[in-house]
Amino acid sequence: MLRICFVFGFALALFAQEDVATLLEQKCLHCHGGGLELGKLDLRTRAAVLRGGEHGATVVPGAAATSKLIRMVSGLDTPRMPLGGSLTEGEIRLLTDWINSGAKYPDRPLVAKQSVVSTEPPLRDADKKWWAFQPIAKPAATIDSLIKASLVKKELRPAPRADRSTLVRRAYLDLIGLPPTPSEVDAFVNSKAPDAWSRLIDHLLASPHYGERWGRHWLDVARYADSNGYEQDFDRPNAWRYRDYVIRAFNDDKPYDAFLTEQLAGDEIDHPTYDSLTATGFLRSYAKVGFREKDNPEFRYEYLDDMIATIGRGVMGLTVQCARCHDHKFDPISQKDYYRMQATLFGYVEVDQPLVPPAEAKIWREANARVDAAITELRDRIRILEAPYAAQILPNKYKRFPANVQEAIATPEAQRTPGQTLLANQVTRTTRASAAEIDRICSPADLATRRQLNAEIAALDKKRPAPVPMAMSVTDGDYRFTPDGPGDEPAPGKGIKAEAIAGSFLHEGPNRYSAPPSFLLVRGDIHAKGEPMRPGFPRAADWGGLPVEVPPASGQTSGRRLALARWLTAPENPLTARVMANRLWHHHFGRGIVPSLDNFGRMGDKPSNPELLDLLATELVTRRWSLKSMHRLIMTSETYQQASAIEDPAALSSDPTNKLLWRYPIRRLEAEIVRDQVLAVSGTLNQTQFGPAIFPPLPAELLASSAKGIWNQQPDGPETWRRSVYVYRKRGLPFPMFETFDLPDQNIACGARNVSTAPTQALYLMNDPFLLRQAHLFAERIREAGGDPVATAFRLALARGPKPEERTAVATLDLDALAQVVLNLNEFLYLR
Amino acid sequence: MQSRRKFLLEAGGGLGALALTSLEAATHHAPRAKRVISLFMSGGVSHMDTFDPKPALARYAGQPLSGKGDIVVRQGHPGPLMPSPFKFHRHGQSGLEVSELFPKLGALADEYALIRSVFSKSNDHVQAHYALSSGQIRMGFPSLGAWVTYGLGSVNKDLPGYVVLYDQRGGPFGGPANWTAGFMPAAYQGTVFRASGDPILDLKPPPGLSNDEQRKRLAALAKLNAIDAAQTPANTELAARLESYELAYRMQSAAPEAVDLASESAATKTLYGLDQSHTEPFGRQCLMARRLVERGVRFVQLYHGGLGNQNLDTWDAHEDVRSNHTRHAAATDTPIAGLLTDLKARGMLDDTLVIWHGEFGRMPISQRGLGRDHNPGAMSIWMAGAKIRGGQVIGSSDEFGYKAEEQPISVHDFHATILHLLGLEHTKLTYRFNGREMRLTDVYGTPIPQIA
Repeated sequence: MLRICFVFGFALALFAQEDVATLLEQKCLHCHGGGLELGKLDLRTRAAVLRGGEHGATVVPGAAATSKLIRMVSGLDTPRMPLGGSLTEGEIRLLTDWINSGAKYPDRPLVAKQSVVSTEPPLRDADKKWWAFQPIAKPAATIDSLIKASLVKKELRPAPRADRSTLVRRAYLDLIGLPPTPSEVDAFVNSKAPDAWSRLIDHLLASPHYGERWGRHWLDVARYADSNGYEQDFDRPNAWRYRDYVIRAFNDDKPYDAFLTEQLAGDEIDHPTYDSLTATGFLRSYAKVGFREKDNPEFRYEYLDDMIATIGRGVMGLTVQCARCHDHKFDPISQKDYYRMQATLFGYVEVDQPLVPPAEAKIWREANARVDAAITELRDRIRILEAPYAAQILPNKYKRFPANVQEAIATPEAQRTPGQTLLANQVTRTTRASAAEIDRICSPADLATRRQLNAEIAALDKKRPAPVPMAMSVTDGDYRFTPDGPGDEPAPGKGIKAEAIAGSFLHEGPNRYSAPPSFLLVRGDIHAKGEPMRPGFPRAADWGGLPVEVPPASGQTSGRRLALARWLTAPENPLTARVMANRLWHHHFGRGIVPSLDNFGRMGDKPSNPELLDLLATELVTRRWSLKSMHRLIMTSETYQQASAIEDPAALSSDPTNKLLWRYPIRRLEAEIVRDQVLAVSGTLNQTQFGPAIFPPLPAELLASSAKGIWNQQPDGPETWRRSVYVYRKRGLPFPMFETFDLPDQNIACGARNVSTAPTQALYLMNDPFLLRQAHLFAERIREAGGDPVATAFRLALARGPKPEERTAVATLDLDALAQVVLNLNEFLYLR
Repeated sequence: MQSRRKFLLEAGGGLGALALTSLEAATHHAPRAKRVISLFMSGGVSHMDTFDPKPALARYAGQPLSGKGDIVVRQGHPGPLMPSPFKFHRHGQSGLEVSELFPKLGALADEYALIRSVFSKSNDHVQAHYALSSGQIRMGFPSLGAWVTYGLGSVNKDLPGYVVLYDQRGGPFGGPANWTAGFMPAAYQGTVFRASGDPILDLKPPPGLSNDEQRKRLAALAKLNAIDAAQTPANTELAARLESYELAYRMQSAAPEAVDLASESAATKTLYGLDQSHTEPFGRQCLMARRLVERGVRFVQLYHGGLGNQNLDTWDAHEDVRSNHTRHAAATDTPIAGLLTDLKARGMLDDTLVIWHGEFGRMPISQRGLGRDHNPGAMSIWMAGAKIRGGQVIGSSDEFGYKAEEQPISVHDFHATILHLLGLEHTKLTYRFNGREMRLTDVYGTPIPQIA
């Protein structure tokens, strides 16, 4: 009996093994075994299963409950497997029992029963009807009528107009990020002109500081920085030209459609300009590993993903990047949509464009090439001269390696064991005789010759043409032939990999350029190439008719990025105008009509006032994408000019967060504006615009925390008392004051910044040497102004005079104390 | 839970000093640890020379590593298999094998669970650091400490909830991005405590500004802000700013006190190695860590190995694993053993989690005869405290230590385990960023069953 039970149990176990094998073959192996091993997981053999995949062990025999396989198929861990279909309870129980009884495999090879088919889910009606994809409908209304209508529904009333001194400070800080001087305040407060407000707005829009303020908002979207990030954090010596381009574009009121087109395809438009070539730095502002991307293609896919994320979130308000590994979970963006967009960008290469006329650039390049060639020849002569000396030196250098290495090197190549060959190669291929070592044994004659050759090299080097200004750009080309740049020196002994294909970095004609092929990557795995992809636009937002390539006459690029720009700025595309109109509203009111500025999809927020959003989007397009015109429209509304004080306490209970805008929202100024305002109030702001970044002093310990890259420390003084938009943005070391005041991470496109209140902010304002020095200079300014110091301090910092009770509060303070206290006031740090 | 966390932040948390009334209020299940001390050995520790003995390396010494596909090294060409220059000894009741590099840690073998099958994704120092710090090899994602502080807040309102103490020779690979709050508010980022002088940047007014004078200024500021606040009743943000000055003022005395070692006994200082010049720097970091967690700091991140001279000052033993690891093991063995011993003696080890790891392991093959190159395929890490069963070995690497073999553990699994011990379910600790519920473990991770 016992024996029968045993045999029966054994047979059952065998049956179970076979059932499990069949289950695996039908449901799992097409992705995890055979041709594809997604997640580097192979479920075909027991050994492979125990080894697991890139996410770790899959099965721990005897412990089904904690085995990853069970957690994944039962949905305890995500994503639930198998993708696109789930197992029945019975099947999960079968797997559970199998693991608990040891996870044995049948004695036969397992083979997948299905192959991967990449399908694209059809668009559903609900997808097509999603609000963000609907055409913009212009309401017959105004900003104020729409705001009032939503207030009336809640029985709320708008606040009265703010007083004039509040309004003038609001307009200055909002539009140019600097406070008004007392005389500017007086001029507006005392003006009898009926159009004083709109004239003030025009005056500020014409200020060169406007671009420094509003350009910075865009630089957040562009994840702009002056260094590469990652290990070496290399300096990007020309990055600032893109920053200046953005500031100038805002100052010039460059239409937003042209602004976008230049940034996406400034090299592909009909008449590229220095500006438009510089603008393509937008695409290149990703954090970069900087280690031979052509040998490490996985990095390049990350950069492409970063571009897709930035364009998706920054311009379209869609999280396209979520569809890299699978169809988007919530929005109608298929994985193919993602790879269509990747195909659009796939030809890109990084290139530094000389910002001089082509003829001059050609002369410059050729002159440099001549010097390079001459120097190469001289270096070769030196190498030949040094060779016999190096041959004497090297055997001595090998002596500092352990005995087994020396023995390997001493053994004739043909007689070395495989291990000795490896050891000997490691050392001989990476050991060099240094110039100093050769000097010591070199004959006087050879030494003189070498010195002469080196002098000739130095002289040639001096004959290089003066550097020309360069823009950090992208254009189309073939990344597989990228020349080495900083950080691309191959690791010692690795050498440059010879390419097995013919081609060139930039297209050299005479045929038209064609982009290197790109593919759908199954599960986003660069080793799992699926079908070849053509460029295209997300289907849910594709209104048809627009070409996916607009090749330029020169034939040097694919025209795919230009096609993308045309599609984004087409009148039928509602995303671009809505997203930008919403950004403008956000920066004027502290909250977007769609609060999730970068996500108009299902996981984002819905518009609180859809008609208002459409009104603004229509106006933006009608006004030929003029942002300055939009500022005028928004700021001349009554809604914008409301007081921020609470007039009606009842309103607080019916709309406590002021979502409906029954008053002007109070909000903290951004990090840069806090610093700029301090400089302006103390009277020390250096208004120099543009050019290479500044490096205000940082404590040595802080610099030590990030040893790589540059921080060309300047002493605290007028040279560094420039606006914050010019402070060097180092990815590896965010400027601490900015970080304390919620600088967004510099590596991800960011629309809405966080606003936090932390004691470190108080510590900065209480104790930082920069702040205290500025407070002292502010005190000096108050003293020099003579008269009533409290009134001077308040008028300079807050655009208003002090109240009697405020005078009492500061009565016992000396000037330095008064100045510092004023710079710490809530009112000073907030826009209201 | 998230909206509650968010509300608390807006209502004036700041610095991770969220005023969560009790730990239980924030956790998903009963926690086994209330705080974490993380010991990051920067540069990449060789597992085959420390916690993962590989006799096969001696057997096959000098032969190529074959049958493993392309051997990807970071520098130059692959070399032949190289045995460890160090002996291994069995320790404790468990008989755990630890190399002679760590005599004191070896003696404490029964206190920690050793995991020999952790693998990571990148053989680049910086990316590998970010992977351990945030789960992502890319920059810009919130660090483990930020997630923990976001999840649990701080107990001591006068100190930051998340403190970083890096090597006096310089910051680790990848710098401050290792303790970033990423897309979360700045309040959750790690606060760097300096080893000498005022521990926090801008903590004290510069000389010439007396305490009385500062108090006077703060009093006037409070009055003016109160006058202003009367116009804007119910504005929690402005109220929080008022309070943040009080916090900052208290922090000025609390932070220096927390890291002032003067009151520690001579015996304690000796325990941590403060009496020896080679153990003093890291001993100081470890002792400061104990004082910080004692005072309610939630997450203390220590680094050993800093970017001065990379081959000398970090565990990056390309040139010579014997001399490099001898130096760094000697500098850390006493301090870390001292920390574990001290925590235990004070009854704190039961609810403190101590973790030890580098950013990747090293190669079983030699680099030019004496060194070892980077190897993300396998590394050894250990976890102590939090009632984890000590002396156990989890997982294994292959016979040479080239790849994780039995029960491979990903960095996400490691992170999920840490959160689990703190009472947080890694799939539920989310932060909504731009329409997506972000997680430390992305869409991966399973707590290690032997520990969780």
